[in-house]
Amino acid sequence: MTTRQKAGETRETAVRQDSDIAIVATAQLPAVRRQELTETEMLLMVVDEALGKVDLKRSDIGFSCQGSCDYISGGTFSFVPNLDAMGAWPPIHESHVEMDGAWAMYEAWVRLRHGDIDIAVAMGSGKSSTGDPAAIYPLELDPYYLAPLGLDPVSLAALQARQLIESGKSTERELAEIAARSRRDAAGNPNQQVRTAEQDVDKLLAEGYLRNPLRRSDLPPISDGACAVVLVRGPRAAELTERPAWITGIDHRSEVHNPALRDLTDSASTRLAATRAGGVAGVEVAELMAPFTAQEVILRQSLGLADDVLINPSGGALTGNPLMATGLVRIADAAEAILADGRSRTLGHATSGPALQQNLVCVLEGDNR
Amino acid sequence: MTVSTQTVSTIQFPYKRTLGPVMGRFFSELTARRIVGIRSGERVIVPPMEYDPETGNELARDFVEVGPAGTVRSWTWVAEPIASHPLDRPFAFVLIRLDGADTDLVHVLDAGAEDAVHTGMRVAPRWRDEPVGRIDDIVCFVPGERAETPEGEPGEAQEVTTMEYFSTITYTDVLSPTLVRYASNLRAGKLTGQRCPQCNRVFLGRGYCSVDAIRLGPELDEDLPDRGVVSNYTIVTPTPYPGQKETEPFARASVVLEGDEMVIAQQQILDLPVSEIRVGMRVRAEWMPEAERDAAEITSKGWGTVAGFIRGWRPTGEPDEPAEQYMNRVF
Ligand SMILES: [Zn+2]
Repeated sequence: MTTRQKAGETRETAVRQDSDIAIVATAQLPAVRRQELTETEMLLMVVDEALGKVDLKRSDIGFSCQGSCDYISGGTFSFVPNLDAMGAWPPIHESHVEMDGAWAMYEAWVRLRHGDIDIAVAMGSGKSSTGDPAAIYPLELDPYYLAPLGLDPVSLAALQARQLIESGKSTERELAEIAARSRRDAAGNPNQQVRTAEQDVDKLLAEGYLRNPLRRSDLPPISDGACAVVLVRGPRAAELTERPAWITGIDHRSEVHNPALRDLTDSASTRLAATRAGGVAGVEVAELMAPFTAQEVILRQSLGLADDVLINPSGGALTGNPLMATGLVRIADAAEAILADGRSRTLGHATSGPALQQNLVCVLEGDNR
Repeated sequence: MTVSTQTVSTIQFPYKRTLGPVMGRFFSELTARRIVGIRSGERVIVPPMEYDPETGNELARDFVEVGPAGTVRSWTWVAEPIASHPLDRPFAFVLIRLDGADTDLVHVLDAGAEDAVHTGMRVAPRWRDEPVGRIDDIVCFVPGERAETPEGEPGEAQEVTTMEYFSTITYTDVLSPTLVRYASNLRAGKLTGQRCPQCNRVFLGRGYCSVDAIRLGPELDEDLPDRGVVSNYTIVTPTPYPGQKETEPFARASVVLEGDEMVIAQQQILDLPVSEIRVGMRVRAEWMPEAERDAAEITSKGWGTVAGFIRGWRPTGEPDEPAEQYMNRVF
């Protein structure tokens, strides 16, 4: 572990151990409404770009893990052709999770912890454009009590948002402000999809409800995209890039699968994961996977983030939501805040399951020189 | 010749799920128009779960009748229902705290208009005429204290042990530029692929080398022979399942294109009893008549297919290749 001092005190250069793991490079395709390239081609491009940034070849990779979803891509075993993005002959060590690429990264991190390999790649890819998310999403829900009701993601998010507002924890205006801020930030980020939409809070509030109390501006777009990150263990990380984004803590926690059985205005699993990942003290930038505005409020309150923490400066999932990559993009953007922007402590968050059921928190740090 | 740049496909899953003793009890009670929860410590959980959501411990099967009326705890209005929604007119999704329950139930509310819905309102179920033991035996909830019940007394609860669920999803797949070229060439009766400049292998319907993980552009396109050798095969004795159209044993063969390593899998061998198919046999493609060629099976998933363009492969009658040459292959 690092010898990082407590947040708020003068930070000394940490002493990195062989067992420490860092993100040294990331790459993502811009989120778009409809991508004509196949998932494999998208993955080829992001893996090429991420490896290229640190001058690595595929033959240098000890392990790779992908996150994707057959229900979204509409093909059985669609992760098998996706594996071609790594070149699987002669045989390689790889794995796949039917989850967001953030969980693929978690598996890659666990694999690196074994200590026998130094370099791993994690990926996430998805093309939501091919199907109707409102029809596919119920298949993710409890098959006995919820799927037969066709509970679509926007309706569920609206049930959650209403409870948040009626409990006094947020307001429709705050939600509109989050939408406006996300759109302003996205305007400066070519990887985001919603970059020219209305940014005036009063105008957003004047728009009608799509699902009361949610307006279109409270919803994410439907997106296609892919992301890859390169993880490196020990001193090798500092050889490959000037200022690695060290993973000082990563944890994921899950709650009961039926959202009606828990308090939808709180995220106990996010709070627990953050605690286990080392806590949020000193975090300067938090990239939270909140595809709905109200979920950003829930996450921020559950994490106890201070007012001066920069939230989703990328524009966030509200302005680009390539399912199965969105969470990994959050971690990649939190890592880039260290790799490229010189930040010292950042947080990446990913969520999975209905109404913030399962949450992953990754805390990253850069060494001060 | 041009082809459509998108294909539309529908995938259907006819599920039949066993319910077990806890959910089975809930659905059985629905057939007698009763709603039950399960006791978990001080709480009554509705709909019941097999385990305590806080601890994961299995719950004693202590069932408690609740409702049928309850109070709306959250709602949203669906002005334009879609096919997968349970009602075909505007309705509300609601979280309902049934009387006697300590958790909420997700269901739908038929309230007529959005302004008739508010948190805290009282609602009760509208029961289906012929209950089958599914969550939609409650067609919906309606405003008020009184359940809407069909004429006549409900019978004894039926024992419900399974639940059927039919899901259908339609995908619209946009073809990549490589696949559009591939399908156009197939329509013209030509099998084409790209040869990898690093390993010299040829790939069809991909646009990349699966071994070297590099993209292969149109400059690498080349015509491929529509002749090959059977490298492997299997004989399938069909068992009936949804979607299976075959009734007699049939063969699916892998064909290695002449002079290359590229395999086209899952191919039919035409005009030959399945018992006479051999590894090493030389075959030639039988193309569909031009008017019947159809790109509906070409999708961005997988590694390219010739379905819709090549009906199958016919033995050429030439002497076989030695079968030993094809021993160490999966396909
Ligand atoms: Zn090659």
